[in-house]
Amino acid sequence: MNKQWFKVIAGVLSLTMVLVACGGAKEEKKTAGEGQQKEELPMVELVWNFPLSAIPQDLDTVQEAVNKITKEKINATVKLKAHTFADYNQKMNTVVASGESYDIAWTANWNWDYLQNQSKGAFLELDDLLNSNAPGLLESMPEFVWDAAKIQGKVYGVPNYQTVTKREGFIIQKRFADKYNLDVNSIKKFEDIEPFLKLIKEGESAEIVPFLNDKYGRFNIMPQSLGMEAITANNIIGVDLKNPETPINLFETEQYKHYLDTMRNWYTKGYVNENAATLKNKNDIIQTGNAAVQFHNVLKPGGEVEAKAANGGNDVIYVPLTEPYASTGTVITTMQAINKNSKNPERAMMFINLLNTDKELYNTISFGVEGKHYTKVSDNVIQVNKDAGYAPNAGWVFGNTFNGYLVEGVDPAVLEETKKANESATKSPLMGFKFDSTPVMAEIANLATVIDQYLPALETGTWDPNEKLKEFQDKLKQAGTDKVMDELAKQIKAWKQTK
Amino acid sequence: MPTSQVAINKKAAKSFFESKQSRWSSRIINLFFCLLSILFIIPLLLVISISFTDEKTLLQSGYQLIPEKFSLAAYSLIFDSPGVLLNAYGITILVTVIGTVVGLFLTSLTAYTISRKDYRYRKIMTFFVFFTTLFSGGLVPFYIMVTQYLHLKDTIGALIVPYLLSPFFILVMKGFMDKIPLEVIESAKMDGASEWRIFFTMVIPLSLPAMVTIGLFISFQYWNDWWLGLLFIDNQNLIPLQLMLYRVMSTIEYLSNNLSSVNVSIDMTQFPSLSTRMAMAVLAAGPMMLVFPFFQKYFISGLTVGSVKG
Repeated sequence: MNKQWFKVIAGVLSLTMVLVACGGAKEEKKTAGEGQQKEELPMVELVWNFPLSAIPQDLDTVQEAVNKITKEKINATVKLKAHTFADYNQKMNTVVASGESYDIAWTANWNWDYLQNQSKGAFLELDDLLNSNAPGLLESMPEFVWDAAKIQGKVYGVPNYQTVTKREGFIIQKRFADKYNLDVNSIKKFEDIEPFLKLIKEGESAEIVPFLNDKYGRFNIMPQSLGMEAITANNIIGVDLKNPETPINLFETEQYKHYLDTMRNWYTKGYVNENAATLKNKNDIIQTGNAAVQFHNVLKPGGEVEAKAANGGNDVIYVPLTEPYASTGTVITTMQAINKNSKNPERAMMFINLLNTDKELYNTISFGVEGKHYTKVSDNVIQVNKDAGYAPNAGWVFGNTFNGYLVEGVDPAVLEETKKANESATKSPLMGFKFDSTPVMAEIANLATVIDQYLPALETGTWDPNEKLKEFQDKLKQAGTDKVMDELAKQIKAWKQTK
Repeated sequence: MPTSQVAINKKAAKSFFESKQSRWSSRIINLFFCLLSILFIIPLLLVISISFTDEKTLLQSGYQLIPEKFSLAAYSLIFDSPGVLLNAYGITILVTVIGTVVGLFLTSLTAYTISRKDYRYRKIMTFFVFFTTLFSGGLVPFYIMVTQYLHLKDTIGALIVPYLLSPFFILVMKGFMDKIPLEVIESAKMDGASEWRIFFTMVIPLSLPAMVTIGLFISFQYWNDWWLGLLFIDNQNLIPLQLMLYRVMSTIEYLSNNLSSVNVSIDMTQFPSLSTRMAMAVLAAGPMMLVFPFFQKYFISGLTVGSVKG
């Protein structure tokens, strides 16, 4: 027995020693490697995860083209791992939890949450790397964009600079505006559109929907025009912009009551599509070209061209109600972060830097290979070949969209206007603040249930707000709005101090 | 009236009443199941009908059981560039065939072993199998196991190996094999048959209904799976059919739910139209719908877990 024990202990000991020795050797190698890197940059392979609407068929060709550029500039190759938007969250959570190696991953506030994953420790802090390995990147975007990306004063993700503003207003089909001589300048507030809706209701066939609404309502995308900013999930709690330190329940405001009354009025008069309270995918209606007026919150320069395609080929005009507005949420909608366990963080940062500052690389990853996936119409304008197997049509996933080619049909002034809108935008007083909902997770879930139950019918005008609004507000209170507000107030206060 | 006469009358009345009752109850039961089947079939018919409907009519007048305006556009769109679809079809068929054959073999082997009453550790082995139906390691350990220990990521093996042995199927199969008398096996052994020979020439033919049924279940599992592909496959040439379909559907759903308040633009018109999606669904479900009736007769002999059934 004793002998056996001795054997076991000896075995364990020798194994430990071997392991220790291995570890030591590794450590040595690593430091040696780092020393070398600065001189000649040894060849490395980076892995980059990002989502798209569909995984492109011809990703391999693009990867090859990308690698040709990166090999020359930073002596690295990049493995492009594309996922779909729907799978991305699940897939990246599994990758991170299992410790699978990757270097760069796309993150945002609406898919694979930036704040949540940072607090889990998934991301590397980038400030030093930005200073030492990314020349030009810091200056390529306005200061407030970096402010928005900061978590407790540190940057963990590089925003893909694009439209960082929101502008709320109406999308109106041009054929109706022309037919009924709509005076665009007369529309200053949400309810000013009503006379126009009346004309459409009376003058057009029953198929035409004067004002399109869906089960998510429109209130959640019009806070700015009502002088507020929504902060928590589901847009329950936010702040009045005149007094940005005190959270309020948005569903208890005067503005909300007013919105509901207007909607009820429109619904009973038949201006709103009858199936609004159950409609999930309003694109099915928009595609038919039957939606005369829609309310939208991202009226960005040049957006009319995209909107035309989405509206079944009908021309549309934008009637904005607000000036461009930038908040934390509008900035961190698309960013790249580096894995905390990345073996080559410096090289990863160099690659992100190239994505945002090198036009050749950015255009290759956004549009593919010239002659195959797109053809040049003029120096800066291209025509996308949709059947060639690479047309992601989402340059904002990759990097600074201002470096990109213009797609044919888009007004060349768009880039300048977007830049101007970004720079002149009204900045949120809470720029950079991010609400961490972990302490009130149970309340948020309860609130979501109440909202699912009441919001669709209320916000489409299907229910009379005079009968149901009070009930809705009471239920929300029961579900814990006060606790969420307290937590939010606390976090805003703490955030103010770090500023 | 003699008492015996009364008893006979009573008996006759009772049996008459019973048969009448059973006739009525069987009618009601039949009617109930007819209605139930119709309820099951309607959604399927609707999907087929939508796939044959003209897209514009569809958007304007909604779903209808009989297409208002017949159109083959959705199918011609898919078959114009069938490369991707055919490739996915090929992968799914390959995975289903290999998975079913190997899976069925392993399942029956395991089930047979733990059903042999002269196997000393059968109780503890059965418990091990049963235990895994109650507790699982969870997603992350499963993922680590497949990617870092078995190194199956991005291989066709990742689509096959994880489903080879399902504890539930083993237990169902064991339940069936329990009914094979040990004496039969013992006598074969006395005649000099080896264990393998007993398994192949006696046990498998005797449990044919169970083999066919479980085989069908396993093949369904492989045919309908998109989950393994989602987790382990990045190479677009190895994507199974159902994952292809799932991706289109889930992405549309996800984007229409999440995009309203985000200032990024995604061109929703690049997704396949509604009728194309339904056509894909029909093509994905088709072969299994055709195969199913041929196996149906084996279900009659039935399988049970636990309770007695002849």
